[in-house]
Amino acid sequence: MSSPPAFSSVRISGCWALGPDGGNSSAESLDRLYPAVGSTKPPRKRTTSQCKSEPPLLRTSKRTIYTAGRPPWYNEHGTQSKEAFVIGLGGGSASGKTTVATMIIEALDVPWVVLLSMDSFYKVLTKQQQEQAASNDFNFDHPDAFDFDLIIATLKKLKQGKSVKIPIYDFTTHSRKKEWKTLYGANVIIFEGIMAFADKELLKLLDLKIFVDTDSDIRLVRRLRRDISERGRDIEGVIKQYNKFVKPAFDQYIQPTMRLADIVVPRGSGNTVAIDLIVQHVHSQLEERKLRWDMAALASAHQCHPLPQTLSVLKSTPQVRGMHTIIRNKETSRDEFIFYSKRLMRLLIEHALSLLPFQSCTVQTPQGQDYEGRTYSGKQITGVSILRAGETMEPALRAVCKDVRIGTILIQTNCNTGEPELHYLRLPKDISEDHVILMDCTVSTGAAAMMAVRVLLDHDVPEDKIFLLSLLMAEMGVHSVAYAFPRVKIITTAVDKKVNDLFRIIPGIGNFGDRYFGTDAPPDWSDDEDALST
Amino acid sequence: MSLLKIGTSMLRKTKSSRGDFVFSADRLIRLVVEEGLNQLPYTECTVTTPTGHKYEGVRFEKGNCGVSIMRSGEAMEQGLRDCCRSIRIGKILIQSDEETQRAKVYYAKFPPDIYRRKVLLMYPILSTGNTVIEAVKVLVEHGVQPSVIILLSLFSTPHGAKSIIQEFPEITILTTEVHPVAPTHFGQKYFGTD
Repeated sequence: MSSPPAFSSVRISGCWALGPDGGNSSAESLDRLYPAVGSTKPPRKRTTSQCKSEPPLLRTSKRTIYTAGRPPWYNEHGTQSKEAFVIGLGGGSASGKTTVATMIIEALDVPWVVLLSMDSFYKVLTKQQQEQAASNDFNFDHPDAFDFDLIIATLKKLKQGKSVKIPIYDFTTHSRKKEWKTLYGANVIIFEGIMAFADKELLKLLDLKIFVDTDSDIRLVRRLRRDISERGRDIEGVIKQYNKFVKPAFDQYIQPTMRLADIVVPRGSGNTVAIDLIVQHVHSQLEERKLRWDMAALASAHQCHPLPQTLSVLKSTPQVRGMHTIIRNKETSRDEFIFYSKRLMRLLIEHALSLLPFQSCTVQTPQGQDYEGRTYSGKQITGVSILRAGETMEPALRAVCKDVRIGTILIQTNCNTGEPELHYLRLPKDISEDHVILMDCTVSTGAAAMMAVRVLLDHDVPEDKIFLLSLLMAEMGVHSVAYAFPRVKIITTAVDKKVNDLFRIIPGIGNFGDRYFGTDAPPDWSDDEDALST
Repeated sequence: MSLLKIGTSMLRKTKSSRGDFVFSADRLIRLVVEEGLNQLPYTECTVTTPTGHKYEGVRFEKGNCGVSIMRSGEAMEQGLRDCCRSIRIGKILIQSDEETQRAKVYYAKFPPDIYRRKVLLMYPILSTGNTVIEAVKVLVEHGVQPSVIILLSLFSTPHGAKSIIQEFPEITILTTEVHPVAPTHFGQKYFGTD
């Protein structure tokens, strides 16, 4: 992007001005944008490389809710079997790459599409370069202006399904902002930028290369309109910059990469036929990547095997058995169910903490003698609960782990496919060195637990630092988790033998979340219990 | 068990803040209480789960109570309450007599039918064992059999435990650590009266 400095927010409004209806950006769409652009200059949003697929998302300032969840992207061995599909989108400045990308995303209509923009990867400028930039003498349209090493590393990781951090480029200071943006979990990655095809290493990562070929006259007109009406620049300056940098860069670096493209889209976003074809191709590629694994087959495969070494079951003391008796009993009132499940959780968590690594230490006592004690030897402990039921274990964790950080993962089972789907994810920063206590109340098939473990691994948590905690597990779940992730520690208070056709544990405990939160409909809708507890 | 060791390290440390101290103490107390409850009698029973299947479990019998020896024993009451919401709790106040330096009972209040209950006696630090011996004597006077007394404590010296057992061989003592040096500052630090 040849966007010169000091004009934050322009690019995003620019791409809106171009509008979804292609290059025929109308005057009223510009007018509509005027007040927003004005003197206040909101932050340049586009550089955050966010997923732009609007339809399946509900987005607030801090959270993203996927209204359609992400189905499993890993196989029964817990590994990602196929890499994400990467679409490279190149073309000259103001050729309509972003609009094409948006149109592809809209037409694809699949969740978990990520748009990665090269704008985020401008190099940090030295002082001298900053001065050049201020006087419009720095060439932003040269391959050297981009940090290709970082782009390649990021794209590689993202392609492998890992979580990545994207720098946020500040166009006023020409440096990266302190906080980087985390991007995770894409089945399709759209990577766009003027120099998208300028690096050999980078080219290898692109599964589909699209060149948006818009006539240079049209591109100049768009630039002029954008720079003058939105950035308040004079015509002389724009033309000077165009002649000095933008045009030579296009001729020297961008135009020649057209022959590397698989598809050339003439007239940019106006070309709906080309976009339809692209979307069809991507769909067929996604279909190939779809994973179908039969949970029932998986279960029978493990049936006769002994329980794994990584499983640790809380000692079955009379109290533990007594509490199980109460919470498993269908006659138990919600009040008692909550009380005794909480007590059991506390014991479970104390048991799990005792499995963390320790080191010896010497402390001084008020009695004047040294005492040989022990202390936790890891960096820190982070809890991650699998919503909704896993959330109920958070208080117990907080009660024994002061100031523990807690993340959440929402996984729901799709009623139609029976597959777990990832809907929402919020993890504390930099968890890769922590011991992670992953909490879910019941594990029957292990499908949700496996997805959660996969998410943690994608966030660089080492497998042997993950502790999966559950009040009750079925043998099937224990086996599938242990088979896929042999180094994850599995800790529970009891293991039941069977799982029924509805994937409920037998004899089990019922639907834990429903019983705990009271979302199971009582047959007569009596409010007696509520009356008692208030 | 490593976990207990971490807890006791925190309690013994001169430098640990009161917040950390109380936090660790409460955690240890909870573990001792849970272990204490395991000593209580129970019967086998079968219940039906929401999936309609049978579960072979156990049911605890009624007829227990807690007795705390004031003041430091009161620190353990909440731990017991957290596990048994409506358990009856009696109290004994024992102080050293200023003249004779011997433990003397100043006050005792129990449930009236304590003679037919199992007793969880709470006292965190067993140093000489004299206080506990006096308390058990009071309980025996109220008709409690020493064999149904379960003493819950956090620390014990070998000497303290031994003298209690010598006096009342049938009593059950639960503790997290037997160590020659008792953290005698427990009560003061827990309640902040140091």
